[in-house]
Amino acid sequence: MSYLLSQLINGITLGGLYALVALGYTLVYGILLMINFAHSELFMAGGYVGLGVLKVLSDGAVATGPLAFMKPAQTFFNSGMLGFVALMAATFLISAVIVGLLGVLIERFAYRPLRHAPRLAPLISAIGVSIFLQNAVLLWVSSKQLPYSRADGTAFVTSHTLLKFGGVEITTMQVFIVVTSLLLLLFLDTFVARTRIGRAMRATSQDREAAGLMGVDINSVIALAFFIGPALGAVAGVFNGMYYGSVKYNMGFIPGIKSFTAAVVGGIGNLRGAMLGGFLLGIVESLAGGFLETGYKDVIAFIVLVLVLIFRPGGLLGEAVAEKV
Amino acid sequence: MTMGKARKYMAIVALLAAVALVVTGCGGSGSSAGGGATGAVKVTIGIGAPLTDGAVALGKGMVRGANLAITQANASQEVKDLGLTIASVEGDDKGDPTTGGNVATQFASNPTLVGVMGHLNSGVTRVAVKIYNQANIVQVSPANTAVDLTQMGMTNYFRVCANDAVQGPAGADYAFKTGGFKKAFVVDDSTPYGVGLADEWGKQFAADGGAVAGREKTSDKDTDFKSLVTKIKAAGIDIVYYGGIYNSGALLSKQLKEGGVNVPLMGGDGLFDPEYIKLAGAAIAKGDLATSVGLPTAQMPKGQDFIAAYKAAYPSDEIAAYDAYSFDAANAIIKAIVSVAKSMGADKVTTTEGKKAIIAAVAKTNFEGVSGTVSFDAHGDTTNKAITVYTVGADGAWAPVSK
Repeated sequence: MSYLLSQLINGITLGGLYALVALGYTLVYGILLMINFAHSELFMAGGYVGLGVLKVLSDGAVATGPLAFMKPAQTFFNSGMLGFVALMAATFLISAVIVGLLGVLIERFAYRPLRHAPRLAPLISAIGVSIFLQNAVLLWVSSKQLPYSRADGTAFVTSHTLLKFGGVEITTMQVFIVVTSLLLLLFLDTFVARTRIGRAMRATSQDREAAGLMGVDINSVIALAFFIGPALGAVAGVFNGMYYGSVKYNMGFIPGIKSFTAAVVGGIGNLRGAMLGGFLLGIVESLAGGFLETGYKDVIAFIVLVLVLIFRPGGLLGEAVAEKV
Repeated sequence: MTMGKARKYMAIVALLAAVALVVTGCGGSGSSAGGGATGAVKVTIGIGAPLTDGAVALGKGMVRGANLAITQANASQEVKDLGLTIASVEGDDKGDPTTGGNVATQFASNPTLVGVMGHLNSGVTRVAVKIYNQANIVQVSPANTAVDLTQMGMTNYFRVCANDAVQGPAGADYAFKTGGFKKAFVVDDSTPYGVGLADEWGKQFAADGGAVAGREKTSDKDTDFKSLVTKIKAAGIDIVYYGGIYNSGALLSKQLKEGGVNVPLMGGDGLFDPEYIKLAGAAIAKGDLATSVGLPTAQMPKGQDFIAAYKAAYPSDEIAAYDAYSFDAANAIIKAIVSVAKSMGADKVTTTEGKKAIIAAVAKTNFEGVSGTVSFDAHGDTTNKAITVYTVGADGAWAPVSK
């Protein structure tokens, strides 16, 4: 029993990561009906930006030469609860904003010029962006797998056991990941359903041209979707680094495919569906690895995808967008 | 948006895509070394190793080791007198058999290329060696340990390191007899290297009297081992054996210890790299074990000379596990080239007869290399079967265990 619970907890944590990335796929699809294949690379970029921010803010080995002025700030960030909370807030905010802006930039230069082109064109463009980003990191940062820790090997975030009952342990890191992803979904869901800009997003998603005629600034709405999606992906990228311990230029590929799968399982275009799909996929994967052979976990996860698509082609929650008549 | 504007942006996107493609293309090849144009006849040695993906730290070390041998050879009077210039060309196999096959085809189509120093991964060699065989190109690997590679009837294949049939059992013997570990969990990374090593280790550990509580497969690109860790924890073992390379191995070690499984992780030569300790963190890697073929570089018969020459050539690089072996492997090819150039004439070296003669000459190799006497048995396996067990010490570096 405790073994099952432990595996469930692993799965829910992994699911939280998938869900965050899946939100990005589904948000862009909901508005543009386009699959942003470069999204997995924005997840990767988030991991790298986060590592850079963490190093500048709290790794003593970096605070030399031109960055020596960071010394006092590092002392603050490395001491006490307040410093730690500030460090986390700064890391996630800066990573999300930088990667969000990168997303906007990609939309502006790689997708917007192709908005009226046949649907394959932006898809190919997305694959081009994906290759470009991977190689940019490979050449300008490192081709090696980099540890997510300070130069002396200490982790930025030490995970503690929060709860222990029977043989089951829940760590702070796991709670941190799951709670953050749920809060972000809640925020996004409310934002889209309740705010003026959210209404503009829904209108654009239903009928782009009509929305434009009604005075909605289509370009800003799409740019916003390309800011929020990658920003959430970046948060997942930083979590991924902290939780699993490393980043690599091609690390986005597999989680990207899994999260895309999660978005499809939940019903692509549907925010809550992406979340549901993410958690479902994470849990299935963990249980498959735990009770069958570890090598089969991906196979089982994708069998679930196939089954869902056979019986519910629109995904579990279907598409929330109203049919165009 | 007007058509003209759209075209302009299309052009930018196309340009970006083109740059990305060129960048990927360039990442792979590129030639270096060679001490200037000393001789009229150019002979090329291919260096096949993972340079952008897979065990990059080991692969880049292989390139440095081999290039050091080639630079020294070009500077020697013997090579100059023969009118030879030995050049090197790098092929990036990414540790991936398919990419390795492409590299091999590229090497085989190079008219001046007579030998290949590489590859690191057994799975890559399994594909590449057949292509070299057809082209009469000799292959000397510094690092392949899969047992069957020398049993495939490939007369052009040699290796200067001991194989898994030596390495796996030696590791298991150490773990059971010296280390006192009784119950193991064995994990591999689904590559021919990892599976072979893990199988051999598990067999010997059981034969010694130990219990193998579980055997699991993962992928060499995995970074998430949380569910496996929960499984291993439930198995209640005192050592985990990992057949694979350091990228994933270090993360497994880290996640094991974070998950409360405080037992050492043991592996083969694929873990034996400073990068392993960097990725896992010194505090976590402490006590982890790795076997590696041969002796520590510093304890090799000519180790100190090698270290001095290496540090002079690459002052800012650390010596990785296979650098000395790559140096010896490249020298085996160089010595064969020189002997063929002497007997047949320098201009005949790159002909088919010349290449066949080089293969025959490598088979008769016998010289004192950095790692000891370099010579091969009838299958192409090294006669030097030394294995050393290393552990991560308190100082955060690999050190040979005291026996």
